[in-house]
Amino acid sequence: MRGALAVAKKELLSYFFAPMAYIVMAAFLLMNGFLFAVILQALSQPGASSASPMGVFFGGTLFFWIFLIVTVPAITMRLGAEERKSGTLETLLTAPVSDAAVVAGKYLGALALYAACWLPTLIYVWVLTRFAEVDAGPVAGGYLGVLLVGMLFTSVGLFTSLASRNQLVAATLAFALLLSLLTVSILTFLVTDPFWKGVLDYVDLWAMLQNFSKGIVDTRAMAYLLSGTALFLALSHQALQAGRFSR
Amino acid sequence: MIEARHLTKRFGPATAVDDVSFHVGRGEVVGFLGPNGAGKSTTMRMVTGFLPPTGGEALVAGYDVAEETLAARAAIGYLPENNPLYEDLRVGEYLEFRAALKGVPRRRRAARVAAVVEMAEVGDVRGRLIGACSKGYRQRIGLADALLSDPPVLLLDEPTVGLDPGQVVHTRALIKSLAADHTVVLSTHILPEVEAICSRALILHRGRLLYDGPVAELRRSLAGGGAVILTLAATAAEGRACLETAPGVAAVEELPPDGGGSRFRVVAAPGADVREALFWACAGARLPILEMAAQSVSLEEAFLSLTTQEELARDAEREVAP
Ligand SMILES: Nc1ncnc2c1ncn2[C@@H]1O[C@H](COP(=O)(O)OP(=O)(O)OP(=O)(O)O)[C@@H](O)[C@H]1O
Ligand SMILES: [Mg+2]
Repeated sequence: MRGALAVAKKELLSYFFAPMAYIVMAAFLLMNGFLFAVILQALSQPGASSASPMGVFFGGTLFFWIFLIVTVPAITMRLGAEERKSGTLETLLTAPVSDAAVVAGKYLGALALYAACWLPTLIYVWVLTRFAEVDAGPVAGGYLGVLLVGMLFTSVGLFTSLASRNQLVAATLAFALLLSLLTVSILTFLVTDPFWKGVLDYVDLWAMLQNFSKGIVDTRAMAYLLSGTALFLALSHQALQAGRFSR
Repeated sequence: MIEARHLTKRFGPATAVDDVSFHVGRGEVVGFLGPNGAGKSTTMRMVTGFLPPTGGEALVAGYDVAEETLAARAAIGYLPENNPLYEDLRVGEYLEFRAALKGVPRRRRAARVAAVVEMAEVGDVRGRLIGACSKGYRQRIGLADALLSDPPVLLLDEPTVGLDPGQVVHTRALIKSLAADHTVVLSTHILPEVEAICSRALILHRGRLLYDGPVAELRRSLAGGGAVILTLAATAAEGRACLETAPGVAAVEELPPDGGGSRFRVVAAPGADVREALFWACAGARLPILEMAAQSVSLEEAFLSLTTQEELARDAEREVAP
């Protein structure tokens, strides 16, 4: 895996030299800040549910998911497509680093930016602690869930970017794939057959994140998210190798 | 240091490189020549391991490029065609990234980057974004990158493209100075460049290796003894009659007169030096020679004659075949 850290560092440098990182982070913060404010407002109405604001915030609204499946492709779209288009793939793949290290490095770089997007939301937690008792377990669980979902989503985005030579195509493909991953969560409401309900429960991202943000760390959910991540990282590796054949 | 065995690359039905074998020893500087689309870059890409060959194999520094890829790559400094770079990094950062990628130990990185910045003369743009650098500087950044880990083998695909004349001279001198302890293969369209820095030439044409030998030999063996420009104090007819009798003369062309006398271009038969024979022929016919100048055949002419001969041979083959 020698070289993976160098690649990760270079990806982060590229993010922060181009306006991309700032735009993504600012948009992410703005959207989530707005969402958080709306949730607080709703929950402070008389007669509102006693749900914890962070619990609702993490995956409890459709907006949250829409922000996520837009933000992640925006982060990952240039990872591979740009290298192919500009031809830098040739310098990268003739350096003495394995393809696995390149995939790992790019993945880590993108995941670090994803994590950086979430960092400022810790302010919300801090704000909440000023006004009420906040239970640490659910908050930590929520962040863990967000990280695991992000790991899966980022691997999907990395794959589509390594498989195309156009950033827009990469982003659109990633968006479509993430949307379908999310859609199965919505299908669980429609299915009554117990067998299929069981199957869909296993891939229900929405329910997973809700559980995490209640402080319930479900190993089945972790298994799904981590194996999905592994699958898309393996696909990314394949896509990178295929890149040699078609330049 | 480089061993190519029956390298073949097909892109769909088209054969870009066709059964090319060559060997480059330690300390050699080899020029890779050939018209556009000859397969030079494709061959280089196969030697670096970037493109998997359809057939054949390549060894660099004793490592099989397909089997021991990382070891082989570590031995190569590669400047790709068109020199792709990350536009959004600064020059210094790019070189530091590449040094880390190439496994230059952390404590030696700064020194190596400084060394190649000096060698490739990119000091004045070190803090600039690569996207804002001119073509010539970008070319030098690519060259600096190739030298970063001080690899024993350098593969340079058109290294002097886009450089100003001063930099061309500098880069050639740099490559020449590296030749002592490096093995260099460079592709180029500039034939004088090959004469200036290469000891050997490989000529590719339509994917096939046409010539593999010393550069000096190339000119001699291919273009015969060259031609001689003569001015005689005689009429054109007298002159022609006399010159044609001289041994070793293949053809006599009349040139437009330039001042007094009549001018001729005398083409020698391959391998012959006709200057002495011309003197005695003219002396015997009592035609005073006013001027005689040997016209050596340029490398360009040799190259053209080689590639067109090959084309004629192929056309002939094709006419016989069906
Ligand atoms: N990825 C590819 N897909 C299809 N054909 C290709 C590909 N790469 C190269 N070729 C073809 O292979 C042949 C050789 O190309 P190559 O780039 O090796 O030539 P070259 O000798 O480097 O030419 P130049 O002097 O123009 O750089 C060309 O006909 C080219 O069109
Ligand atoms: Mg080329």
